[in-house]
Amino acid sequence: MMNSKTSALGIIFPNSYDALIPELVNVRLMASIPFASRYRLIDFILSSMANCGIDNISIMVNNNYHSLMDHLDSGREWDLVRKNGGLNIFPPYAEKESRRFTGRVAGLASILSFLQDQKEKYVVLSDTNIVVNFDFNAMIQAHIETGADVTVAYNTQEIPESLIKAPGTDLSLYYTFDIEDGRITRLYVNSKKEGIQNCSMNIYLLERELLIDLVNTAFVHGKEYFERDILLPHINKLNVQAYKYDKYIARICDVKSYYDENMKLLDDYNLDSLFSGNPIYTKIRDDNPTRYIQDSKVRNVMVADGCIIEGEVENSVIFRGVKIAKGAKVKNCILMQDTVVEPGAEIEYLITDKNVKISAGKDMRGTDTHPVYISKYQEV
Amino acid sequence: MAKEMIAMLLAGGQGSRLYALTEKLAKPAVPFGGKYRIIDFPLSNCVNSGIDTVGILTQYQPLVLNEYIGNGQPWDLDRLYGGVHVLPPYQKASGSDWYKGTANAIYQNISFIERYDPKYVIILSGDQICKQDYSDFLKFHKEKDAEFSVAVMEVPWEEAPRFGLMVADENDKITEFQEKPKNPKSNLASMGIYIFNWDILKQYLEEDEADPNSANDFGNNIIPNLLRDRRRMYAYHFNGYWKDVGTIASLWEANMEVLDPEHSGINLFDEDWKIYSRNSGMTGHKINAGAVVENSMITDGCRIKGTVKHSILFAGVKVEDDAVIEDAVIMGGSVIKHGAVVKHCIVAENVTIGEHAVVGAMPSGEESGVATIGAGITIGAGAVIGPDAMINKNVEGGEDQ
Repeated sequence: MMNSKTSALGIIFPNSYDALIPELVNVRLMASIPFASRYRLIDFILSSMANCGIDNISIMVNNNYHSLMDHLDSGREWDLVRKNGGLNIFPPYAEKESRRFTGRVAGLASILSFLQDQKEKYVVLSDTNIVVNFDFNAMIQAHIETGADVTVAYNTQEIPESLIKAPGTDLSLYYTFDIEDGRITRLYVNSKKEGIQNCSMNIYLLERELLIDLVNTAFVHGKEYFERDILLPHINKLNVQAYKYDKYIARICDVKSYYDENMKLLDDYNLDSLFSGNPIYTKIRDDNPTRYIQDSKVRNVMVADGCIIEGEVENSVIFRGVKIAKGAKVKNCILMQDTVVEPGAEIEYLITDKNVKISAGKDMRGTDTHPVYISKYQEV
Repeated sequence: MAKEMIAMLLAGGQGSRLYALTEKLAKPAVPFGGKYRIIDFPLSNCVNSGIDTVGILTQYQPLVLNEYIGNGQPWDLDRLYGGVHVLPPYQKASGSDWYKGTANAIYQNISFIERYDPKYVIILSGDQICKQDYSDFLKFHKEKDAEFSVAVMEVPWEEAPRFGLMVADENDKITEFQEKPKNPKSNLASMGIYIFNWDILKQYLEEDEADPNSANDFGNNIIPNLLRDRRRMYAYHFNGYWKDVGTIASLWEANMEVLDPEHSGINLFDEDWKIYSRNSGMTGHKINAGAVVENSMITDGCRIKGTVKHSILFAGVKVEDDAVIEDAVIMGGSVIKHGAVVKHCIVAENVTIGEHAVVGAMPSGEESGVATIGAGITIGAGAVIGPDAMINKNVEGGEDQ
């Protein structure tokens, strides 16, 4: 049995795919988007790592990261306050020519000396737009058994339309691959193929020394992307193994998928699939329990603590501290922290960001294909 | 570096009148109000009042309490100097003793208190539900230039004989103390919360310890001795919500009052005076399409498919379809199976109520008891548990109790 406590360190890229969901990352980044009534997206991958004994985790923040710093604080909620390792937040290192990271290579290159000083044998890399309760130890085990140089986690699904239609296809955005006997033989960047594909989850595992070598070489040649510029050219030289993940997964790649993936958790089967494994930790707010007052009517809802519900709520995901006043009707909505719905207001297919106020008597509706998003602190 | 005031929290009580609820649990660790334990209230009061050093005196069934307190982080009491410390009785060169009484518990920890060289010590009780600003109490103590102050509540005269009463003059100076008197001269009930000047407290603790006939109790020994010596003693009037939750009925009632903060005065939705607790870490609660939820408090991890009326559900409670819960307190992790009826009762942690079982009943005529199911108990399918029952053993299916 390997000693999982020292075998891998984690590196998380919290800004990946920000561009796909401009509304929600206007004042934050992908990692700190609220999800499932009381979490932020990063909680899932961070808790997964912590639960697998990965307790040396670096967050490569790039921009808009104040909300994430506030959320992570010292890392205590994930038990990541450690003398050795723990949580490290690496902002872009301001040099003479300050520029933000594009692909992963520049970010990784900026922490090469840190990586050289670490003791863990392996490194796991991950984004935050994929919601999973992931078992990294199983992946490490598979990596060892297959003798892989690099292991890539994937699931099988159709390529989300929002990725295919995303602007700027000159960028290296998403990856699919052909697999033979578990080994990735071809890697496709921004494929437009229809039907079920092997879709990369952008969770990578490789030895730390190998990562340092690959990044070093790529960086001096001005390369930007780990996948397009490192994995793809080496696909025949390196043993790149595919690790199939067939448990619950939610992929956030636009506002619609954000809405749908929240709503899917109203199904008990999905909720249990995501949460029945190890616990997912998040920042504690010390809210009181939610209070349902006389005349409230609720059906098919997920509600966090700290809410006061006096009105009617149906098919909705309600975050912490939301107030729904008497006579208000909320249907098919996602109401983020501290949203207030005043008396008599009726809303449907709305996503309200933090501290939004829906005034008394207002009637606002989106549609199931186009939920309406209302930004932070707006009063409507 | 001296601390102005530190707190000593008496948490050793067995709480024998809570029967099945305190069989394996110290009373201060009893769950309350949906996501709290009783001890969260004095601890949160301390930190909200600027007290950062708290000694918790434990003796009876301390395991759950010790684990719950941990390093004190949920209450912001993990400090470099001070913070929260659990203080069980310990062996000394001169021998070892259980805590013989409330005063003896503090006496045995004189060396703990002296580490902080405090000017004042506040003695708190771990079995009350109360939101109180101790800094206001200290201000009063200083203004009166008191050596001892006690927080008092006005109680209805007809109930006064149940309490320890302080008789005070128009300047709040205490002139007499009556312990549960037949003929009360006052309706100012002691809340069991005291501020002492540390030098005075130490002197009286040492004197009390030297007296072989003393019961080593604050109410019965220390306070009468202070009066005997005409110390400067004052009564601090508190008029917020205060409840001693020492009995099943009062614990149930206090929980029900949480559901009605507009009238009862116990408001847990107070941004300026948060009550902190250790978090369950579960997902948001889920209310299914066929469920009915009225006038209730529900917290993380609950899954509701049945009917919940005027009740408090703690973290992770599952209510299956066609189950009915009314006027009930259901503690963490309990499961109410299909078709069960649970009314006017307290169900402790991790209980399973079987299908179509009936627990408790709404008050009718003479019967108004609060049925109580102890932690970890299984009530078999179709069993019937009467309104006054106190269950601490599993009940087979179909059985009546």
